[in-house]
Amino acid sequence: MAWTRRSVPWAWCLLAAAFSTSALAVEPLRVGMELSYPPFEMTDPNGKPAGVSVKLAEALAAHLGRPVVIENIAFDGLIPALKAGHVDCVISSMTATAERAKSIAFSEPYLKTGLALLIAERSPVHSAADLDASGRVVAVKQGTTGQQWAATSLKQARVLVLDTESAAVLEVIQGRADAFVYDSMSVYTNHKKQPAKTRAALAPFREESWAVGIRQGNDALRQQVNDFLEKFRADGGFDKLGDEFLAEQKAYFKEHAIPFYF
Amino acid sequence: MNLVIHGLVQRFVDPRSGAQATVLDGLDLITGDIQALVLVGPSGGGKSTLLRILAGLDAPAAGTVAFDGEPLPNGEDALIGYRRTVGTVFQAYNLFPHLTAMQNLLLPLVHVHGLTEAAARDRIREPLERFGLAGHAHKRPAELSGGQKQRVAILRALIVRPQRLFLDEPTSALDPEMAGEVLDMIGELKAAGTQFVLVTHEMGFARRVADEIAFIADGECPALAAPEKFFAGCGEPRVVSFLERTRRV
Amino acid sequence: MPRWLAHLIVFALFAAVAGWAFASLDMTWNWGVVWEYRWAFWRGWWMTLGLALAALLASSMIGLAAAVMLRSHFPLVEAVARIYVEVIRGTPLLVQLLVGWYVVAAALHVGTEYRTAVGVLVLALFSGAYMAEIFRGGLDAIPKAQVDSARAIGLTRWQAFRLVILPQAVRIVLPAVAGQLVSLIKDSSLLSVLSIGEFTFAARNVNSATYSTLESYLPLAAGYLALTLPLSALSRWLERRFRYEAA
Repeated sequence: MAWTRRSVPWAWCLLAAAFSTSALAVEPLRVGMELSYPPFEMTDPNGKPAGVSVKLAEALAAHLGRPVVIENIAFDGLIPALKAGHVDCVISSMTATAERAKSIAFSEPYLKTGLALLIAERSPVHSAADLDASGRVVAVKQGTTGQQWAATSLKQARVLVLDTESAAVLEVIQGRADAFVYDSMSVYTNHKKQPAKTRAALAPFREESWAVGIRQGNDALRQQVNDFLEKFRADGGFDKLGDEFLAEQKAYFKEHAIPFYF
Repeated sequence: MNLVIHGLVQRFVDPRSGAQATVLDGLDLITGDIQALVLVGPSGGGKSTLLRILAGLDAPAAGTVAFDGEPLPNGEDALIGYRRTVGTVFQAYNLFPHLTAMQNLLLPLVHVHGLTEAAARDRIREPLERFGLAGHAHKRPAELSGGQKQRVAILRALIVRPQRLFLDEPTSALDPEMAGEVLDMIGELKAAGTQFVLVTHEMGFARRVADEIAFIADGECPALAAPEKFFAGCGEPRVVSFLERTRRV
Repeated sequence: MPRWLAHLIVFALFAAVAGWAFASLDMTWNWGVVWEYRWAFWRGWWMTLGLALAALLASSMIGLAAAVMLRSHFPLVEAVARIYVEVIRGTPLLVQLLVGWYVVAAALHVGTEYRTAVGVLVLALFSGAYMAEIFRGGLDAIPKAQVDSARAIGLTRWQAFRLVILPQAVRIVLPAVAGQLVSLIKDSSLLSVLSIGEFTFAARNVNSATYSTLESYLPLAAGYLALTLPLSALSRWLERRFRYEAA
């Protein structure tokens, strides 16, 4: 029949291709992050993932000899995605908390930072101690440690839970929220963009450290990540990242004795 | 009633194309002192347009109309008042479908003429019986036959005690049996002395019930005569050919 | 086989397939969180119902006004209504909420206490545009002869609208309006983006606190169905009832 004679050579080709790719194929390392947190997780002008965490992910994947795939997932969906197996690990400036550790496993921390406040210009608030009073409105982002802190620590203030960092910042700038509880890095960056309308209380009122999220039970990967982080730090990889992306912040924070270091 | 019409003009503008059509072109019509005037003529000749003006629904572009020496009022507000003194029945869709027949009858009495509901029901009771509609009063129009609907519509026009009735082809949408019911009712009204202007295609009925018949065609009234003279042709060629066509049916 | 039985069997089949799919996911389930946070769910559910009803009321009035304006003979009046309907129906509700709160309300210096009010207003304006078309269709469906008949018995324009046109139009559009209420209930979930404490907001917060996504979102879906299924049934019943009458 005509179709067998013409298609058989094609069939052999396909089979050969399948064999060769499966023999050479290594499973890609799927890394989940929310690409809306410059300069750690962001997109470049062409829309491709860029930033500190992306570089870290690429270095990790190279260390493991696997190709890297970045999955852009909303922050409060990262842990569910990890649990469901859509990604192998989460590198998204995620704080390792006891609460989160019930659901996923964390690597050793790779960055120390803390919760800080972006305060509205006209607000009477000056520090975290001023926040829990009736009449105060505090903005947090869905799924962050800021939200967790607010849920446990703020009894009288009204808590606004927004989906995005930009929405929370807008609330502060427009004077509808007294403060935005977020990590000191982003508070600094946002304050610099709107110096007239905001004040920044950068000294962290609660220290936190970021780690790589890994599925519970995946001890092999966890060990590999910890090994990688040790090596990366020793080789000065973090210093290079700091210089490349965070030079200004590093200088400012050092000047003001605010803890921030890899 | 004595109807005098001079130079009546009516135009319609097609809302989409903006084109103007002159439907009544300087129509003149003078009746004697009669009870029942019947308008006949070819479709599109202007009969319904004329009736709507006589009933106070549309204001003409030009011309005068007077019943018994009293001209029709100008302006929508005055026309509303005029409409309350007359009754009009259309070919279809007279009754309001969301109300029962009884509610349809009560509505003008209560909301337009200010009767209490009790007084209104009193007034309706006897005519309702007389015209055999009492058993259907609780039904909605959807449950009534075409003939019953038209008869209720005529009744609704009657109970406000109008000076005269205007009926625009009341039987054209009905089958012959139901048309008969309605025509009988109109016949009874004639016998009872009610004044009316009727537009109809029913030539036999027109002959029986009219005091004068007006022929309306091409926006004018070329002939007006008592029934015998009319059906003899009145010497007007358009009437003759019209009668010939209708006789063939 | 009676219709309800057929519906029940098919639904049970779907539920069984879904259940098997979930079970095969190899996840540790943590249903305790649903119970733990039940008050958050409960409050949020009532908030959604309240918001939807408030928006329905407001959007009905807006929609009726817009429908009347759409049929107006004055070009300016018709233009205002037409632009409103086209712009609102042509943009996503999410965009309208964000622009409404972060641009319009901010420019007017509306404080944070009015968050829920602004949310309901935007939702009402959104739904109102669809209601306008529903009502316009209803008004157009009434034969012009009805207006003639009303005028002929001497009713003023306002009386004719109130006693003849409106009652008929309401009967015609009632099923579509019930359907719009169903849409409102579902669309109200977007108000969570303005941190308004309705049902979806509650579920997202539970998820953020406990990382139990399916366990927080499945009750969410069930809660919405509890609101929309009776309404859909009501809408179908209304449709059957008024189709007979309008004959």
